[in-house]
Amino acid sequence: MSDAAAATTALPRVPGVAFALIVLCTGFAVTSAGFVTPTNIANILVQSTILLLLALPMTLIIMTEGLDLSMGAVLTLASIALAIVIISTGSFALALLAAVAVGLCFGFANGLLVSVLDIPPFIATLGTLGIAQGLSLLATDGQSVVGIPRSIEGIYSGALVGVPLPIVIATLAYGATHVLLYQTRFGAYICALGGNREALRVAGISVRGMLILVYLFAGLMAGFAALLMTARLNSAHPTAGIGMEFDAIAAVAVGGTSFERGNGWLFGTLLGVLAVGVLRNGLNLLAVPSSAQVASIGALVIIALFIDGLRREP
Amino acid sequence: MSAEAASNPPLFELRGISKEFPGVKALEDVSFEIRAGEVHMLVGENGAGKSTLMKILCGNYRADRGAFFHCGEPVAINGPGDARKFGIAVIFQEFTLVPYLDIAQNIFLGREFRGRLPGLVSQRGIHAAGKRVLDSIGFDIDPYTPVHRLGVAQQQMVEIAKALSQDARILVMDEPTAALSDRETELLFAMIARLKKNGVAIVYISHRLAEVFALGDRITVLRDGHKVASMLPAETTPNALVTFMVGRSVDMTYGRPSRSQAGEVVLEVKDVAAASGIAGINLTVHAGEIVGLSGLVGSGRTEVARAIFGADRISAGEIRLFGKRIAGTTQDSAHRGMALIPEDRKAQGLTLARSVADNLVLAGLRKLFPSGIFHPRKAMQTARAMIGKLRIATPSAHRAVGMLSGGNQQKVVIGKWLSAQARFFIFDEPTRGIDVGAKAEIFRLIDNLVHQGAAVLMISSEQAEIVRVCDRAYVMRKGRIVGELAGQRLTEANIVALGAQP
Repeated sequence: MSDAAAATTALPRVPGVAFALIVLCTGFAVTSAGFVTPTNIANILVQSTILLLLALPMTLIIMTEGLDLSMGAVLTLASIALAIVIISTGSFALALLAAVAVGLCFGFANGLLVSVLDIPPFIATLGTLGIAQGLSLLATDGQSVVGIPRSIEGIYSGALVGVPLPIVIATLAYGATHVLLYQTRFGAYICALGGNREALRVAGISVRGMLILVYLFAGLMAGFAALLMTARLNSAHPTAGIGMEFDAIAAVAVGGTSFERGNGWLFGTLLGVLAVGVLRNGLNLLAVPSSAQVASIGALVIIALFIDGLRREP
Repeated sequence: MSAEAASNPPLFELRGISKEFPGVKALEDVSFEIRAGEVHMLVGENGAGKSTLMKILCGNYRADRGAFFHCGEPVAINGPGDARKFGIAVIFQEFTLVPYLDIAQNIFLGREFRGRLPGLVSQRGIHAAGKRVLDSIGFDIDPYTPVHRLGVAQQQMVEIAKALSQDARILVMDEPTAALSDRETELLFAMIARLKKNGVAIVYISHRLAEVFALGDRITVLRDGHKVASMLPAETTPNALVTFMVGRSVDMTYGRPSRSQAGEVVLEVKDVAAASGIAGINLTVHAGEIVGLSGLVGSGRTEVARAIFGADRISAGEIRLFGKRIAGTTQDSAHRGMALIPEDRKAQGLTLARSVADNLVLAGLRKLFPSGIFHPRKAMQTARAMIGKLRIATPSAHRAVGMLSGGNQQKVVIGKWLSAQARFFIFDEPTRGIDVGAKAEIFRLIDNLVHQGAAVLMISSEQAEIVRVCDRAYVMRKGRIVGELAGQRLTEANIVALGAQP
């Protein structure tokens, strides 16, 4: 009956992703000697930060019943812009500004396409994915951008009172997104965009404006993610971010955010990002090629959602 | 209504409203007055213009002609903002609630209180204010409860709380009891009484005559865009009201002509239980018989229907159709001539965007085209024959089903199963959301079915319908059948007595 159904849908979001994370950690701890070491655990956390920066806004977008396929390509283009600007001007501030500007431009474009032109998000962001990817190749002629001042590496490898900088940045981003989603009007409107747009219209709030803001937020975060990625590689590659949107969507889905009715869970996304990070790290330790890693992430999504689905049935 | 109220200007008044849509005159010179502390019933068949009139009142449509008066002063309503200014709020059938926000967040959506830091919402503030609003309508619930956990009736309460928190003085309710159980309906009526006492005016759109007389202080009837009558409940009778609504007199008793002896056993359900919460279900349905399944909302009626049809797996017992045990899948049931006509036609019974013809032949494709190859002309012939037979009012067989009225959609669902040569029909709330004129016709259709030897199991929340239409009825309570009534014992009082016992 309806009461029982309501109770069971609320409970099982934790188990799906938490279960997956526990099984993965246990599995790798048993099979791979190097897995449970302080260095490796720190590695997993640091390596997960870029994905988290993308998965956070992806959660919000999916909560609006949207999708952003362009994230990986925008990340790449922002990284290239950052590299080119820092090489030509030497100014770190200008370079970060360029990366964020690229992200915001594409976020705005995605928002306009989805809201004003009413193009389905899947199609709209597939289009901007192509454009961003094409621009990356055009700007670099398909080559890596190298010769970035080594000082930028410090952003990825440095630490603040013992905590690696990427983790500091990711924690700030998580905290900010949490406040945005749960403590501001905007967060409530995101729930309404996916849950009931009519409720927003009745309340006199611009549905289009809110949608544009959500995609702008994604662009902003892609800009910051580009900073971490460029610092990590100490260069920019026109293919570096390919497929990152896949990992981000996978993390959000594994984390229990629903693609319908504005039912999202930010902490679940954090766990989802860790699950993807643990999986990639563990498979690396076992020397599994990266193509097989992609397949295993696909399997992870299906298994996690299957577990959730099992628990939802009466 | 006191003499004083009659002499004062009404709280709000619409005068001489006309509205035309391309090709249709939706409203013609309609006047309507709303008085504080009064429930004004707006009745009429589907398409009579009730919704259009209310959309003009709340500013969603603009009238072509006509004037508005607020407390006797002429005013203009050019948009929803104007209507809100005069305290007009609409509780729509489709709620404007966000499922994954909590009650207080929904009540104050778009009007959040500022928190201590700029940009943040004062969660404590909206929840405290939300609690006050909920208390004021006597709705005892934690304002932190997420809305997706609420039932329809509770969501409706939240909608009402939301409207009142915006200082609504005029509440428009569009068939508010359509999805409520009897108990919930009582709670709603109690709340309406409380609102009236506080001077709130209520415009109440309803199809249910019992409500119109139980609740109304004033009744206005629309038909084909005209106001055909406006009166006090004491000045009219249900039969007179129906005559106003349909423009002809309708046989309100839908009494069935006496029926010959029931035929062979069509359906036999023995000791069936299912995970959905039903247990120990025993019932039989004979050919040429209409059997009712009554009980409160949530007593397990729909679950029984789903189990019989094979939509839910049974955990115990057996179900036999025409003497043979069914496999328990919907495909098998449909193939053997069973038809389920669900309560929510939009969600389960019809493909709304497809044409009437497509929908009519859908369930019968296998019977119509045993070779597996589709012949459009033959499909169209079958569909046209069905449209004629069931008197489906549609401009053409190609019209999308979603464009038809509720009654005609219901006929399409029935026609769909007839083309599949079904011989046992389960109707789940066949008259929900259907106006009085169409109701009688649906019952006539069901009656024709059984005259041709079909067997019918009918679920209805309206005991009156069960009593008038069915030969026998089972009454359910808490997932079990608690009694069987037939002949002289099949009365509304007996159904209520059986269904409501603790």
